[in-house]
Amino acid sequence: MTNTIQILSIEKTGKESSLQKEHNNKSIKIIDGYFFSTNLDDQKFTKISKLISNDVSQTILTKKNVNKVLSSYSNFNWVVEIKFLPGVTDNIATTVKEIIKDNLKSSFKSFELGSTKIILIKGRKEDITKISKNEANPLIQTIKIYPFKKYLNNFKKNQFKIEKVKLPKKKYSKKEINLNISDDQLSLIGKLGIEENDKSRRGTLGLDLESLKAIRNYFFTIKRKPTDVEIETLAQTWSEHCKHKIFSAKIDDIQEGIFKKYIKGATEKIIQLRKDNFCVSLFTDNAGGIEFNKDWIICHKVETHNTPSALDPFGGAITGIVGVNRDCLGFGKGAKPIANTYAYYLADPNKNYQLYRQKNNKDPMLPANFIAKGIISGVRVGGNCSGIPTPQGNVYFDDRFAGKPLVFCGTVGIIPKKIKGKLSHMKKANPGDNILMAGGRVGKDGIHGATFSSEELDPNSPVSAVQIGDPITQKKMSDVIIRELRDENLYSSITDNGAGGLSSSIGEMAKESGGFIVNLEKVPLKYNGLYPWEIWVSESQERMTLAVPPANVKKVIKRFNARGVEATIIGKFIKKEKAIVKYNKTEILNLDMEFLHEGYPKLNLKTSFPKIKKEKKKIIKKSSLIDKLHKLLSSPNIVSKEFIATQYDHEVQATSIIKPLQGEGRVFGNATAIKPLFDDEKSIALSQAAYPQYAETNPYDMAGCSIDTAYKNLIVSGANSKKIAILDNFCWCSSDEPDRLYQLKEAAKACYDYAVAYQTPFISGKDSMFNDFKGFDKTGKSVKISIPPTLLISSIGVVDKISHLTKITPEDGDILLVLGATRNELQDSVYSKIIGYEKSKNPVVNSKDALRTYRNFEKANKLRIINSAIGIDLGGLGIAITKMAIASKKGLTIDLKLKNKFSVDQFLFSETQSRILVSMKKNKLANFKKIFKASDYTIIGKCTSSDVIEFKDNKKIMRGKISDFAKSYKQNIKGL
Amino acid sequence: MNVLVLSGYGINCENETLHAFEVVGFKGKIIHINDLIQNPKQLNNYQVFAIPGGFSYGDDTGSGNAMAKKIMTNLYDQLTDFSLKDKLIIGICNGCQILINLGLVPSLNKKDPEVALIENKSGSYECRWVDVKVSNNKSPWLENISTLNLPVAHQEGQFMIPINLLKSIKANNLIGLQYINHRKKLAKGQFPFNPNGSKDDIAALTNQNGNVLAMMPHPERAFYNYHIPNWQSKTLKKFGDGYKIFMNAKKFFA
Repeated sequence: MTNTIQILSIEKTGKESSLQKEHNNKSIKIIDGYFFSTNLDDQKFTKISKLISNDVSQTILTKKNVNKVLSSYSNFNWVVEIKFLPGVTDNIATTVKEIIKDNLKSSFKSFELGSTKIILIKGRKEDITKISKNEANPLIQTIKIYPFKKYLNNFKKNQFKIEKVKLPKKKYSKKEINLNISDDQLSLIGKLGIEENDKSRRGTLGLDLESLKAIRNYFFTIKRKPTDVEIETLAQTWSEHCKHKIFSAKIDDIQEGIFKKYIKGATEKIIQLRKDNFCVSLFTDNAGGIEFNKDWIICHKVETHNTPSALDPFGGAITGIVGVNRDCLGFGKGAKPIANTYAYYLADPNKNYQLYRQKNNKDPMLPANFIAKGIISGVRVGGNCSGIPTPQGNVYFDDRFAGKPLVFCGTVGIIPKKIKGKLSHMKKANPGDNILMAGGRVGKDGIHGATFSSEELDPNSPVSAVQIGDPITQKKMSDVIIRELRDENLYSSITDNGAGGLSSSIGEMAKESGGFIVNLEKVPLKYNGLYPWEIWVSESQERMTLAVPPANVKKVIKRFNARGVEATIIGKFIKKEKAIVKYNKTEILNLDMEFLHEGYPKLNLKTSFPKIKKEKKKIIKKSSLIDKLHKLLSSPNIVSKEFIATQYDHEVQATSIIKPLQGEGRVFGNATAIKPLFDDEKSIALSQAAYPQYAETNPYDMAGCSIDTAYKNLIVSGANSKKIAILDNFCWCSSDEPDRLYQLKEAAKACYDYAVAYQTPFISGKDSMFNDFKGFDKTGKSVKISIPPTLLISSIGVVDKISHLTKITPEDGDILLVLGATRNELQDSVYSKIIGYEKSKNPVVNSKDALRTYRNFEKANKLRIINSAIGIDLGGLGIAITKMAIASKKGLTIDLKLKNKFSVDQFLFSETQSRILVSMKKNKLANFKKIFKASDYTIIGKCTSSDVIEFKDNKKIMRGKISDFAKSYKQNIKGL
Repeated sequence: MNVLVLSGYGINCENETLHAFEVVGFKGKIIHINDLIQNPKQLNNYQVFAIPGGFSYGDDTGSGNAMAKKIMTNLYDQLTDFSLKDKLIIGICNGCQILINLGLVPSLNKKDPEVALIENKSGSYECRWVDVKVSNNKSPWLENISTLNLPVAHQEGQFMIPINLLKSIKANNLIGLQYINHRKKLAKGQFPFNPNGSKDDIAALTNQNGNVLAMMPHPERAFYNYHIPNWQSKTLKKFGDGYKIFMNAKKFFA
């Protein structure tokens, strides 16, 4: 009899090798452990072991063989046992349970099990502790370290156990909250949460005093006290995350707020100016939609998952990506996710920032490299397991992300315009429709995620806010919805359960019908003992909410169940504009829909001009041009991100047409494209851009640069300029301070100006306003680290023909030209950071000039005048030239004599926007000149068959070998 | 000519796999494994059974293991019968891992799995294009093909084969595909030509009849010319190398 199955690989696994390499310790062995809640007899042990292991590559430990099998590790002295904390999603355990239940059927029914990683190591205790900290996250896992001998003993004596969620059996009685208390006490409720009977607090509600007063007034008018569920629900619904109060607030003299005036306003203006509206769905749905061709719509949404990723990088990132996938599933009647995008803004993974959330070196921030690696893997597992290609992304490093990383996850979806004759982007829950919850079960995970994403990361940040993703459960659910239910029109509305859980999804959807009644006791739970308010606001993942007409309920549930997906009716939509929640027949929430959605006090914001932080003078190091190029190429923000591209499956669905790694020399491209339909040659081009490094100097210009780059990259890839849409994701800091709000207003104003100038509409967006860290450094000094204001612009465009798609690789004999003027704009550039500061200006986009370049480029590309092209961005022309050479493995000769206006460095490294480096056959020049005015381009050199890049100025020739440049460009990022 | 393409529980390449078969002339459908378990007899209506790539059960307990166990419990006899007939089975990537875990390939002792697919030597997921050469051209899937340029995308693609078995695999000519380098010679384990460190650069195995092919690279993702990296710099054709595999299936029944 035993209660554990433990399995180890016969040969060293890849994981073991990388662990050994990372910790410079050859004595590391990993055992996969499964701990059962009941004892297994010998027969069951043998049978189950066989089911979950591989005879050829693995050995199963038994009491008999354990000494012998582990004899080659007998000089190991420590064991690290890593388990999930009770209640944390354990995907492996779920799979194992399914295999056992399927195979043993009824003979082995009720049992629990937990998966465990057991690491055998030889080393000193302090090293082991370090390794274990790198392998586990104490927020979601328990780490036990004990001597190897004890492990053997435990094994023989059966002393492993799983810990179950032990929640006291609670009998629920309706809890009413007295709000007739002092302002201080009221504030405390907002900050720390509702007080339990034992005086403990539930965790932050993120409600300010004004909001609580509005709630008090409402209940005063309806002459009763609020219940705890009502307050929790209002906190979720009114959170910054859900209501975007700052974007909708009156700000200075802008009555309607910056969203209405500058973002939505831009789109409305563009639609009015253009006669060819290609927007299908704007701002109101889970994603924004545009027309792809006459039969199909594509949608795009980009979300952030910053705070969860700071606490649990892997979990935060995986739930970020599968979460935004659900936004696609929840677009219209349900779009199929066809591409993922990512953008990470991280601290230097090679630095040890030593930040603490509490005094005396307590509650440390995770190390920067742990955060970076966890985020990268989280999206890998989420994207790859879901079968959605992840072609497009980027990573940017800056010390100011040490307190909070930014994790942007995006998804593109596709949906037929009409389903059974009805417009697919229209949906409406009707009174009488049943409320159906499909997918995963509800647990304590992610409680208060929405309210706390509105707050700064400080000691009171709740740890239950982390969630673990389960992409397979979601994939199963998604397949049923997209392939079976949707096309038969079996439901009238659908939305995802994200921030705020059921309270948000049902609350939002009920606007379509009027109101809702939910019976919370019907919601399937992961374990017993959850309070009703917890069920109502839990952010357990992988769930969708559907409105199903009564006649279809049976059919829908049957379909879900047949595919191994749970689906439950938990209430119904009603006509009356009331939000009603019951728990075992007791009414615990009854609010007017109007108050629920609009009752929050509107903010009135004031801005003030900030002090501009000037770039610090840094002496320019004297070195050769070739050396400078090497330094820039190998700097973290320019160096190739190939290691991410190769671990993210970008080929699945067989749609990849412009890949992330471009040319024989595999240069990490700044735009990619997919061809989503087998029977249409149209493609979707994707790109994105953000310039946090420009923000403090001039937020207006920063936003202009982001829009220009995201737009330009699509033009360069071959997209039709009339079919480009953009998305805005504002990640700001300290958004309660007037100077930060000033920057916000300026950036938003630029969004309007440039979007309207380019006639590229915003179709969707999201904001995250408090990306600040308040804590302590290692000396105990209190510190605040704010991210630089970051505006990510994601662009999505349609490429009409395969022949319009461009490449970045020039050919022998091509001439090289720069389209667009170069100005002396080195301020805040990569050059000024790496090489040194030169008195200069910040990049400013001149939209008139830019548009002329783009329209002419588009014309020339369609006429096949252009042979290759690359957008010029970080590191300027010099880096664009080098990337072209690395990608094509072709020599380039660059003539710098023309540039007497500037110094060579200014010409090559200025980050002037709106420029494209192109190559073309010499004999196309005549046709090219028919399109471009002489002042709009500069011929700078040619492509040769040599293996060097040659720069010639008046005095000398400087040469660098392409293979050497490639080496610098492909260097590993230190710490990753 | 009919093809049945498996789906469910995280398999995710069924659409493009079916499409490739359809373009070369097959009729076919995608079937959820639970529907096939409900009615396994429908296998009789098909000449080709394809297990596409994906992440069945999220690779938990080893890639392909959980799905293989589900098939073993519920469909093993039917699938074995299918493999013994004049019919074709292909497993691509996760499908390859499932076939190997089922022991349908190389199926030398006809009982338990004899080969394992373990984690890549690099320890990381590898999505990249590789060149492979055909080693067993008596398999109907691989006839008249010499080399192929195809993408791989997997975390566990390293063939692990006990020495004695490897000898008989070679003696029986069951190695389907092997990774080669830029000089068209065997990769000899060298990364990235051999992306996972597979023994003898093995990228695919067949059973003795050659009608069952388990391959790690993805032919359906190299089906059209525009799938190939840097296709703009290459000569214009309609199809990529993956097309050849599907055409071979068609020829077998033609």
